[in-house]
Amino acid sequence: MSSRRDFLKTSLRHSSLVALAPSIPGFLAATARAAAPGRDDRVLVVVQLDGGNDGINTVVPYKDEGYARHRKALRIPAGDLLKVDGAVGLHPRMAEAAKLLERGELAIVQGVGYPNPSRSHFRSMAVWHSARPDPEEHGGPGWLGRAADALPPRVDRAPAFFLGDGSPPAALVGRRTTPVTLERPEDFALSGPPDPRRALGAGPAADPGSGDLAAFVRRSALDAYATADRMAELAGADATAGRDLRGRLALVARLIKSGAGARVYYTQQGGYDTHAGQPDAHAVLLGELSSALGAFQADLKASGLAGRVAVLCFSEFGRRVAENDSAGTDHGTAGPVFVVGAGVRGGLIGPAPSLVDLDDGDLKSSVDFRRVYASVLRDWLSLPPDGPLGGRFDPLPLFRPA
Amino acid sequence: MAEKSLRDPWSPYRPTPEAPWNARRVVVLHRRAAFAATRDELRRDLDDGPGPSVDRLLAGRTPADDFERTSTLIADAAVESRDPERLKAWWVYRMLAGPDPLGERLTLMWHDHFATGNQKVADIAAMRRQNDVFRRLARAPFGDLLNAAVRDPALLVWLDAPANRKGHPNENLARELMELFTLGIGHFSEGDVKEAARALTGWTVADGAFVFNPAAHDDGDKTLFGETARWDAPGLIRRLLDHPATARRLAGRLCGLFLGEGVVDAEAVDELAEGLRAQHLDVGWGVATVLRSRAFFGAANLGSRVVGPAEFVVGAARALGALDPPPNTLLLADWLTRIGLDLFYPPNVGGWPGGRSWLSSRGLIARANFATALTGGLGVGLPGPVDVFGPDGPEAPIDRTVASLAERLLGYDPGAGWRGRIAAAVGAGSVAPAEAVRRAAALVLSSPEAQVA
Repeated sequence: MSSRRDFLKTSLRHSSLVALAPSIPGFLAATARAAAPGRDDRVLVVVQLDGGNDGINTVVPYKDEGYARHRKALRIPAGDLLKVDGAVGLHPRMAEAAKLLERGELAIVQGVGYPNPSRSHFRSMAVWHSARPDPEEHGGPGWLGRAADALPPRVDRAPAFFLGDGSPPAALVGRRTTPVTLERPEDFALSGPPDPRRALGAGPAADPGSGDLAAFVRRSALDAYATADRMAELAGADATAGRDLRGRLALVARLIKSGAGARVYYTQQGGYDTHAGQPDAHAVLLGELSSALGAFQADLKASGLAGRVAVLCFSEFGRRVAENDSAGTDHGTAGPVFVVGAGVRGGLIGPAPSLVDLDDGDLKSSVDFRRVYASVLRDWLSLPPDGPLGGRFDPLPLFRPA
Repeated sequence: MAEKSLRDPWSPYRPTPEAPWNARRVVVLHRRAAFAATRDELRRDLDDGPGPSVDRLLAGRTPADDFERTSTLIADAAVESRDPERLKAWWVYRMLAGPDPLGERLTLMWHDHFATGNQKVADIAAMRRQNDVFRRLARAPFGDLLNAAVRDPALLVWLDAPANRKGHPNENLARELMELFTLGIGHFSEGDVKEAARALTGWTVADGAFVFNPAAHDDGDKTLFGETARWDAPGLIRRLLDHPATARRLAGRLCGLFLGEGVVDAEAVDELAEGLRAQHLDVGWGVATVLRSRAFFGAANLGSRVVGPAEFVVGAARALGALDPPPNTLLLADWLTRIGLDLFYPPNVGGWPGGRSWLSSRGLIARANFATALTGGLGVGLPGPVDVFGPDGPEAPIDRTVASLAERLLGYDPGAGWRGRIAAAVGAGSVAPAEAVRRAAALVLSSPEAQVA
């Protein structure tokens, strides 16, 4: 193993191995490509804000007369906001995000949602994951999984990493695509002896009775052990990496730097389901989000990778316009989506949703979330959007022309 | 794949030449309805046949006094310490050594169904009490369990019930009561959620106990499911229990726990749901019906379900006979977490997604590492390697040892090619015989064949 790795490192220094590909064994060529992603391999990082972020107190429409009317305990005084323009301002804890916005590296799409919104965490998240509003179409592949299915299959390199606890989100699951889940770097080291790879063999699954499931288990095991190999090649595991959002994004940066080669990295920040005691909890969350995004951009810039990476932040829904009496908010509808990166065309996109003209107490959405996805797929990842989105959606001007 | 739909899936199983009573079926029974069979249990059930084997699991053993006494001491000490890891270890101890493994499986199912997370509750005593409620009512009529669960302080705190007051509704409990605990999505409207939240006002927690506070209750007319009345919480719960969708959801839960992928069709689940309604949603009846059924012992149900983290970890220790001395349950609980099941900390109110999603890369690597740790002993707190020799001891030919391990862990022999790969990976001949046997056991445990049952 180590001799193969040393060979690769030496060879890559001369950038000759890829050129030699036709004359070397397949697995070496594949590994070399993975270790040296092409210039055109742009990367998407998704940050899922779990629980339903209160967009109204994130990108605050402080001039809207409905704001003071509906938000008594939760109203943030206009003087405390980080003003974006004469109508909206960012939550006071989002100083790093405000800097990104000033530099033109943060786009905020306002009022993003979909028709007939569901206020169920699960159903609404399923809509965002599948890009299908019809629940009949849930439970299957997700929008990024479908998009990744269109990539040429690779045994040695996962198309998508999920960094977090538990199971990967449905968004990443394709018909063929299985994302790799990563919580801490040490989760990916095999501790043997024995080496389970050697017992796996190349033949079909032994038990004919279990059909497709047996093939799935084998494939998942092969993926898992290939990933263990890649992670073993990453130098110097950082013990703090991966603990919080900032740490997980640091780990994403390290994976990108080390040439893990995935096109999509996906992580979560939980805790946005603020039914009660919202002001303090929400401030902590937005502060963590904002500083994590700022640190990630700085890290990528220092490594000369900023131009290759874009971050998409979304939540399954916004919250009810009127606060409840627990100093919290219940489930609502539309909310803002953030897109961050040096290749992003920064600024506010779309009008701020009105807090006066409501639909049964909820915001009316002005931008379908699939238009954001269409831009990300077509203009950033250079993948055809119509199939993964189940139809044609007008992309938004989110990215600078390459 | 087996035939598309089994005729009379819920009629009792009788061994036939096509579906014989064999080691494979004993292994599947204990992997699904318990935490794997020990070697003695495997042999005993093979001799006794399906009737007594299933009945024994349904009834549980009479708990030895000293087991319950020890269990209570461990739980009390965990609560006293405020260390959630010790509470996890307590539950693992019950799974590993308790008299009622099926009861523990059902308790775990209810923890998943009424998924409550200590990340928000932050009260180990309350989490333990809730766990004991799930255990005590694991086989009860679902109405008893639901009524207890919705009055459980940990669950009420988890779902913000104390904030749900007259004139100031908080919808969290109302929504999950209908979406997750009973009807399932599609059987209620957004208006029903709002009105159900009003009906539930006044149910709250005071001094760590459930109380009804009449002053906080909204006594006015509410329109629920098209009916206007002065709905209150007990009336709402009665209506939810009467709804056919609740029986359907319960039937789906039991099939998900005991049956593999695609083993029964929607019609069979409906049929089980009808049976449950006729039996007043008696969970014990449903469990017994499924475990005795032709569907359960049919060929399609063999090797078609992903083995979850608890049955993988605790089952491996039991099947390999690593019980005397027992492994360190704190370490076993940590392995459960690494494999994807962090007890008392479900990922969200929906519980664990389960099924194929257990087989993430991280989970599979952790399973392989657990197999190494368990067989080596030290990684699970044992003084040395587990004694896993085949019937002929460590000197037997490695192929025979692998075959014997397969029989114990899988209930069948996947074939000469499979045995040969494991024998080659063991490095027999270049390591001591005892080390070769240990490695063989680890490889069988981490093989794809052992991740399903």
